[in-house]
Amino acid sequence: MDREQEKLQLKQHIIKYLNLLHVTPEEITDDMPMFREGLGLDSIDSIEMVVMMEREYGLKIENPKDGRDILQTINSMMDFIEKGRAAKAAEEKA
Amino acid sequence: MFYIHQSSCISHQPTFNDVDLEDLKPSENNLIHAIEPKYENVPLGQLRRMGRALRMGVGTCMKLLGTHNVNGLLIGTANGGIEDSIMFLNQIHDYEEGRLTPTAFVQSTYNAIAGMVGMITVNHGYNATHVHRALAFENVVLDAAMLLKENLDNSYLIGGVDEISVKNHRLVTLAGWYRKEPVSNFDLYKGDAAGTLSGEGAAMFIVSNKSEGATAKLKNLKMVNSNDEKFVQEQLSLFVKENPGKIDLFLQGENGDNRLLKYYTTCESLMSGETTVARFKHAFGEFQTVTALALWLSANVLQTQKIAQHFIKKNSATEFNRILIYNNYQGMQHSFMLVERV
Repeated sequence: MDREQEKLQLKQHIIKYLNLLHVTPEEITDDMPMFREGLGLDSIDSIEMVVMMEREYGLKIENPKDGRDILQTINSMMDFIEKGRAAKAAEEKA
Repeated sequence: MFYIHQSSCISHQPTFNDVDLEDLKPSENNLIHAIEPKYENVPLGQLRRMGRALRMGVGTCMKLLGTHNVNGLLIGTANGGIEDSIMFLNQIHDYEEGRLTPTAFVQSTYNAIAGMVGMITVNHGYNATHVHRALAFENVVLDAAMLLKENLDNSYLIGGVDEISVKNHRLVTLAGWYRKEPVSNFDLYKGDAAGTLSGEGAAMFIVSNKSEGATAKLKNLKMVNSNDEKFVQEQLSLFVKENPGKIDLFLQGENGDNRLLKYYTTCESLMSGETTVARFKHAFGEFQTVTALALWLSANVLQTQKIAQHFIKKNSATEFNRILIYNNYQGMQHSFMLVERV
């Protein structure tokens, strides 16, 4: 799966986990802020997304302060997912 | 007790916006699901997290509170957001008590409805949820009546709500309380079978001591816990004596379960030949807080002076001034409510 397909899947997960019935994946742009003026998410949604990251990608956001940066946009979340996967792969190799 | 000023109702029938009870809507797969309207007064961001009970409860409350301010909120629910409760319990099991999200838990607690409405409307007044199974709404009524005795000028929002949960429905069916064989709500009272059809819905009311502008008056209430139909009949007889006057409509909660019919027939036998007898569970289904919908129907009949033919079991009265509601749940929890025209 290439990065674009991964992004689409991430958007679909967000819609499912947050029950954003009125939003389509196409409406969520890659650099759209997730909170406030962008998608309009709130603090409860951020907890849902932290759990989503763990369930769907096996990645833990250990420090809540990091969550603010990681969950900012689709791009920042994808960066976190890719970095996490790379770290896991390196760990397995070692 | 108190006067009913405004009401709103979500049920399987068109009762929310343009009320039309003439043509009975058919049940589907032995379920009498509520028709959910477009919730215009509920913030979208909050609506998307809510389960059915919460949506119906908050939706009916917000329809009334859009124009009215009250001194407190009193909600009755037997199961709260039971579907979300089951979802949360399953998540605890599936994810081995880790990786849990708060939404399903927060949204499924019994007091989520009154709490959510309190937060949306910034109402810091009395906020209570009564969960006395099939007498949950009746205890709301009692609580509101006591509050209004102490606070003469206050007004309160009261109501009842419960939802059908697929998993819970399966368990209650196994326990023998719902019909296993297919049956339509059109034929609910025909035949001789155990079990009934499951329903869901919500009804809310704004109540106060002021008669001006009221649509109906809830005159009195009595709750009985017994499985002895003679005792229930005696209690109804006492209730009628304590509240003398002609009963124009006896609105009873017969539900097609042959094991419960004896309670309704013994109570019905106390009514005079001049009393019209009507039933409501073919329209709303069976659930613990269905008496809130029966009260909504009574207020509607008193205001419009009409009752659709499909509700009628025995037709006598031509004018409706006093309605007696009798309901029982699984042959144990009984209630009588007397409603009067204003």
